[in-house]
Amino acid sequence: MRIRVVALLVVALVAAPVISLLWRVPWSRMSSLLTEEVVTDAISLSLISSVLAAVVALTLGVPVALLLSRMEGVLASITRALMMLPMVLPPVVGGAALLFAFGRRGTLGAALEEVSGLVLPYSLAGVVLANAFVALPFVVLTIEGSLRTLDPRFELAAASLGANQFHTTVKVVLPMVRSSLIAAGFLAWARALGEFGATITFAGNVPGKTQTLPLAVFVAMETDQEAALVMSVVLILVSLVVLLTMRDRWWPSR
Amino acid sequence: MNEINRPLLDAHVVVERGDLLLDVALRVAPGETIALMGPNGAGKTSLLYSLFGWLPLRSGWILLDGQTLDAPGEDRSVPPHLRNLGMVFDDGLLFPHMTVGQNLAFGSDTKLVDPDLVELLELAPLVAKQIHHLSAGQRQRVALARTLLAKPKMVLLDEPLSSLDPSARGQARDLIKSAFDSQLSGALLVTHDPADAFTLADRVMVLENGKVSQFDSLTALSTQPSTPWIASLIGWNFFTGSARDSIVVLPDGIEIATSHSGLSGEMTVAINPGSVSLFLESPGGSPRNNWRCEVSNVQFVGQVARVTLSGVMQIHADITKAAAAELGLHQGLELWASVKATEVLVQGSSRPS
Repeated sequence: MRIRVVALLVVALVAAPVISLLWRVPWSRMSSLLTEEVVTDAISLSLISSVLAAVVALTLGVPVALLLSRMEGVLASITRALMMLPMVLPPVVGGAALLFAFGRRGTLGAALEEVSGLVLPYSLAGVVLANAFVALPFVVLTIEGSLRTLDPRFELAAASLGANQFHTTVKVVLPMVRSSLIAAGFLAWARALGEFGATITFAGNVPGKTQTLPLAVFVAMETDQEAALVMSVVLILVSLVVLLTMRDRWWPSR
Repeated sequence: MNEINRPLLDAHVVVERGDLLLDVALRVAPGETIALMGPNGAGKTSLLYSLFGWLPLRSGWILLDGQTLDAPGEDRSVPPHLRNLGMVFDDGLLFPHMTVGQNLAFGSDTKLVDPDLVELLELAPLVAKQIHHLSAGQRQRVALARTLLAKPKMVLLDEPLSSLDPSARGQARDLIKSAFDSQLSGALLVTHDPADAFTLADRVMVLENGKVSQFDSLTALSTQPSTPWIASLIGWNFFTGSARDSIVVLPDGIEIATSHSGLSGEMTVAINPGSVSLFLESPGGSPRNNWRCEVSNVQFVGQVARVTLSGVMQIHADITKAAAAELGLHQGLELWASVKATEVLVQGSSRPS
C-alpha cells in the first residue's frame, strides 16, 4: 500500500511540469503561432534531421554491434567503452570534439572539404552528424545485447546450408533480432529529437538551417514564451505518440 | 588412390579444447553411416565442429571426397559454407522468422523442393506453417529435409533424436533411415541411444576422453567391449537368424516376432534389456514374444536388477529392484520373458510397413 502511494506521488511529480506547461499554452493563438516561419522551420528541420540521424546511426551501429557481439577480452572492452563514450560525455563536449575532427580546420574536416567540397559545421549534414554521434551508443548497446542472446549455432546452421557470412547476416542474423533493430531505431530517433548540446556546438543555431526544435525553444524562452510553449507541445505530442506506439516492443504485455 | 576405393571422408583431427585433447582418425566409406558414441565431454560435438571448420585443427587433415578441407602446414582452410557438409542439430535449429517452406528452400539452389523427399518425410502439410506451430518431431523432420535439400556430400547429425519423446523417436528414426537410404552419401551421427546406432549406423565409433576406444559394429561392441563404459552402455541382446516376412527364425528354431513386414534373408535383431518384461504367469497378449525361461543369474547395479535368463531363450533383462523383489527372483526360478514386437529393433531393413 505504501509503495503504491509513493509510486503515485512520483508519477504526479513527473506529470506536474508537463501539466503546468500545457496549462500555460495559449490555445487560442496556437494555429497562428504554429504557422510562424521560425516554428515551422524548426519543426520540419527537427523531424528531418532526427529521422536521418536515426537512419545513419542504425546503419553505422549494426556493423559495430555485429563485431562487438563476436569479440571477447580486453580489446572488446576497450572498443565498447569507446563506442559508449558519446552516451556518457556531456553533449557539448561531444560537439566540441566533432568540431576538432570535422570542423573546417579539423583533422578530417579539412581533408573532407578538399576532396568533396563538403563543409559539415553549420549545415544540415552537421546537425545530422551531431545527432547520429550521440545516438550511436544507444543503437550499439541495444543491438549488441540482443545479438549476444542469439544462439551462435544459427550461423553454423546457415553456413552448413551453404550461406556465406554476408548472406547469413542479412537473411538469418538480422531478421532474428528484428525487434531490437526497430527498438534501436526509435531510441536513436528519440535521442536525436531532443539533442541540444552537440548540435549547438557543432552545427550552430541558424534559424531555418540548423535551428532544431530544442534550440528554437531555448531561444524563444528569452524572446517569445508563447512560441516556446507551442513548440514544446509539439515535442510532447510527438514523444507521447511514439511511446504509445512502441509500448508493446519495450514493455511486452503479459 | 583410385576412385572406387577412395573414402568419402578421410580425416585425422587433432583439436585442443580446454582440458580436452581430441585426437581422432576417421575414414568413412561412400554411403556409410557412422554412429559416434561416448560419455559427455568425450569430444563428440568437438569432432563434428572441427570437421565443419568451426574449431581450428591443431594438426591433422580433412579430405572430403578428394577435396582438401584442412591440411597440415597449409595455411588454407576451406570456410564452413564451402565445405559441402550438412549439419542437423539436436533441436533442429530451424530459422524461426521463416516458414517451413522458406526453411526448406534456404540451402537449395532451386526454389523447388524435391517432391520425393517431401513425401518421404511427410512434409506436405507442413510447408506453409510457421516454425513455432510445429512439434519437436516435425521440427526434426524439417531440419533433416532442409539439410538434405542442400545436397551435402556428407551429413553430420548432433543427437538429432534427443529432443523427441520415446514414442516419437521410433517413428522419426524410421523416417531418417529411409531418407538416408534414398538420399545420402554418408553420415556421422552423434547419439546416446544404442537403438539409433543399431538401426541407422553401419559402424559405431566410441570416443572416450578425446580418443577412439573402439570402432566396430554394434554387435562386436556388445560382445567384445574394449572399455567398461562400452560394456555398461551396450548390454544389449542380439540375435541373428533368417527372416520370414515379420518373423526372424533363430538357428535353434525359436521365433522372434517384429513389427516389420516383408523381411527376408539373414538378419540381426536387437532387444534392449530394458524392454524385456518378466512374469510368473504367461502374460499372453499379442503381438508379443513370450518365452518360458529360467533365471541363471541376478546382478544388482544401482536400482536396476540385471537378470540373465536361460532355457529356450538366452536373454538379459533389466528390471527395477522393486520388481525383482516382487517376483521373488532367485536362481533357478522359472518365469516368462516377454518382449513386444515393436521393441524388437531390426537392422538394415527398408521402410517398416
